[in-house]
Amino acid sequence: MSALLAKRLGAIVMISIALAGVLFYLQKISPLDPVHARLGGQASASAVAAERHRLGLDRPEFTQFVDYVRGAVHGDLGDSYRTRRPVSTDLRAYLPATAELALSGLLIAMVLGVLLAFATTLRWKASSVLRPVLLLGASTPTFLLGIAGILLFYSKLHWLPATGRSSLADVPGGPTGLITVDALLHGRFDVFWDAVQHLIMPATAIALGPAVAIARVLRSSLVSDQRSDYARTARAKGLSEPAILIKHVLRNCVGAALSMTGLQVGLMFAGVLVIEQVFSWPGIGQYVAQSIPVADFPAISGVTLLLGVGYVVINTVVDLLQAVADPRIKV
Amino acid sequence: MHLAFGPAAEKTVTDPGASTSEAQAIEVASIEDLHVTFRRSGKDIAALRGVSLDIRRGEILGLVGESGSGKSVLGLALLGLLDARADVRGAVRVAGRDMAHCDQSARREVRRVHLGAVFQDPMTSLNPTMRVGRQVAEVAGSKDEAERLLGAVGIPDPASRMDAFPHELSGGLRQRVMIAMAVAGNPDLIVADEPTTALDVTVQAQVLTLLRSLRDEIGCSVLLITHDLGCAAQVADRVAVMYAGRLAELGSSAEVLARASHPYTLALLRSRLSLASDRTTSLLALPGEVPNPAAPEPGCAFAPRCDLAGPACLDAPPPPLEVRPGHLSACVVPAVEVTSRLAEVVRAAVVPHPEREPHNDDVVTLYRVQKSFRVGAGRTTRRLQALRGVNLTVGRGESVALVGESGSGKSTLLRIVAGLESFDGGKLEVAGPDCPQMVFQDAGASLTPWLTVGEIIGERLRGISRAERAAKVAQALAHVGLPAEVAKAKSAQLSGGQRQRVSLARATVVAPSILLCDEPTSALDVSLAASVINLIGGLRRELGMSVLFVTHDLSVARVVADRIAVMYLGRIVEVGDADQITSQPVHPYTQALMSAVPDMGREPVALRGEPASPLAPPAGCAFHSRCPKAIDDCGDALLDVRLTAVDRSAHHLAACIRATA
Repeated sequence: MSALLAKRLGAIVMISIALAGVLFYLQKISPLDPVHARLGGQASASAVAAERHRLGLDRPEFTQFVDYVRGAVHGDLGDSYRTRRPVSTDLRAYLPATAELALSGLLIAMVLGVLLAFATTLRWKASSVLRPVLLLGASTPTFLLGIAGILLFYSKLHWLPATGRSSLADVPGGPTGLITVDALLHGRFDVFWDAVQHLIMPATAIALGPAVAIARVLRSSLVSDQRSDYARTARAKGLSEPAILIKHVLRNCVGAALSMTGLQVGLMFAGVLVIEQVFSWPGIGQYVAQSIPVADFPAISGVTLLLGVGYVVINTVVDLLQAVADPRIKV
Repeated sequence: MHLAFGPAAEKTVTDPGASTSEAQAIEVASIEDLHVTFRRSGKDIAALRGVSLDIRRGEILGLVGESGSGKSVLGLALLGLLDARADVRGAVRVAGRDMAHCDQSARREVRRVHLGAVFQDPMTSLNPTMRVGRQVAEVAGSKDEAERLLGAVGIPDPASRMDAFPHELSGGLRQRVMIAMAVAGNPDLIVADEPTTALDVTVQAQVLTLLRSLRDEIGCSVLLITHDLGCAAQVADRVAVMYAGRLAELGSSAEVLARASHPYTLALLRSRLSLASDRTTSLLALPGEVPNPAAPEPGCAFAPRCDLAGPACLDAPPPPLEVRPGHLSACVVPAVEVTSRLAEVVRAAVVPHPEREPHNDDVVTLYRVQKSFRVGAGRTTRRLQALRGVNLTVGRGESVALVGESGSGKSTLLRIVAGLESFDGGKLEVAGPDCPQMVFQDAGASLTPWLTVGEIIGERLRGISRAERAAKVAQALAHVGLPAEVAKAKSAQLSGGQRQRVSLARATVVAPSILLCDEPTSALDVSLAASVINLIGGLRRELGMSVLFVTHDLSVARVVADRIAVMYLGRIVEVGDADQITSQPVHPYTQALMSAVPDMGREPVALRGEPASPLAPPAGCAFHSRCPKAIDDCGDALLDVRLTAVDRSAHHLAACIRATA
């Protein structure tokens, strides 16, 4: 296991450096001059030269790249042109909200996916309702889904809140920044419930697409493994169909579903950035949405790097989980 | 091995040798006029067409048939595991329940309490992600009981194997785990569907012996489903022969062997290879193929292939009639007449092989060829030593068989000669001008599915006109006994035997100097295997090719080859003329392989253990760990066992210090 772990960690580092390289050169070839962006169009030539020297932009490009990577490793992603604060400080402020939304979405996607797969494999009655509903949800664009949700559950039924992460004033500032987790750590169940209510709509909106994808992959491997020789052996032992599915077939099938989950995480990040606009969610999506129009390159590349590394890390975890599920995968 | 199986050991055990007229024996299962029809792509497939059969308490009933005979469907019907969409008529009574029609929970109960099952491939039949201890405990009830069962089926050190996953065990041990699950809870009946087909010959003998001793200990009945009449006759008390979904013959093993009364049984017995088969004539292959189950004939299904078929055979399928007490045969021709008339037919059909003129030049020369593969990655990399110095020559027009169990390196050697694999050390010379051609075990998988047979064969013909090419293809097909229309078909439209013929046509459309065959008959039915072997022999003589033939079966090797080389763990341990090797084997491993060949009326003799891992071949003589004759010197790391002449014959060599000293 440790050999695989070391190899995977090495891969994360390599991929992240490669990603940083791509971002760095995108920044270089963009027509935007960071010095003019900082000083404004009317700055004198000497002031521009001084600022260029101060930012280290007059050094060889490779040295700049090494410095950029070194800074990124230490958490220094440069200063935002817009907020004038270090990008890492901004990210620290916006990330918890996005992480909470993305993780909730992932959780909902996995639960719904497994439910749907089981329902259709075992031909539960519920599947005739669940399937069309999920399919409809998955084929609707995320933002439309969000707007439809607000119209129905907020404006019409008044069941769920439409904006923000919490409607309470005294949210405990906790160690993680995830309101649900912090509330539980502080024993504040009222805050927890309020945060969950805020999460349900946006998280479900981003989860439906991935849920259907996961369900489809899981279902097809469940169905084919139900016809496998070892399932026949289990049947010959006298086990019931649900027991065969849960005890024998499921573990052999999680591999495919896990890799699909890993792939869907990437799509989910895109969904998060959009849905945060719809629900006024104070996360990275808002930050990027404000940074893009003013070409705030350090902010945009900081977010890109963060999401990229997050994607690679999650897929590494998926690979490790696959090795745990299937003893034949040599580690 | 001794088993104590609790209260169930007191179950009444009928003497397995008891005469078949002992009608008072209680049945553990009885099948009454069973019809099973599947619907596949709009066609009705009649898998079983009226089978009645009783399985008596404590007996081993061998159920023999070729693919499509319905034998496995019968096994699944007993277990109540037939596809829910199948149309089932008749009754399958086990423990007072009709497994064909009672509800699912009742069937589960019967399976759990009264039945056990062993399936063909122990790798796929065990859950790959569950530890074997848990898989056995699931039926045994507790971990302790599971561990005891693993010991009882002869798994060494059961406590440490409890936590193993199936892929960490060898094929033989996996099948023992399956058997442990089958006997857990002392079932009345074990359905064993081809339990030894996926195993090496020496391991096959071990598993058959184990099944029989378990029956003797706990008194359960066993339904042994197999395609091999010899295998069934060796361990079964009674044998039932099936053909096209009906019972052809049923009787005690001794009776069926000595006085087979159905023409199909007789044909099976004739086409079956044994160590006593006549090498000087062609084999008596059964003509034709198994009938199409989607379009059953009104009369006897065997009539189109039967030498004795008359007008009476075409009206209605004949019911099984008693020819002697306890011996049934479903044939309209009286039993006495069947034997005498068939004997005449056979006498006329025997074609002796023409004498081969000896050639002195060699087509293939291997000198100290070595090959190892890297296994694993990173720090766990190990080298699998597939070939550890092999010397071999194949003369022009000569046929040489490579015999050995899995892991012996025989297929690697073949692939190296074919040029499909590189080698690490030594020398290889292959006479030109054409490169060797290969025929594989799985003919279906070796033919590109979207190309027609004509395109596949024609690929080897370059630079000639389309008409010439078509003519050559038709000629090649005619050589292998196929009509020219087959050229337009795709491989999926052909039967197994036809596919193997097509691969032979592809290999010989331009006659190669040497034809390489990798177990071309082991996936075929007994009756087809004989005709493919005849075909390879005929093509060899006609086209003057050499043949290098890989097989695990000495009785096949003996018939196809002039010389036999026996391999163990990457080395040739004995080589010589086919007759010499099979009549006077010198190496203990060859002797063990000989005695493991299933043969009728002879106890299976099992060699202990399984082939050692080619990742770490034992020091000294690699076979010493399993050898019944080994002495201390055999395991000496400094020992270099070389092939040495036996009786000063330059043709017969063996690598054993005990045999040639």
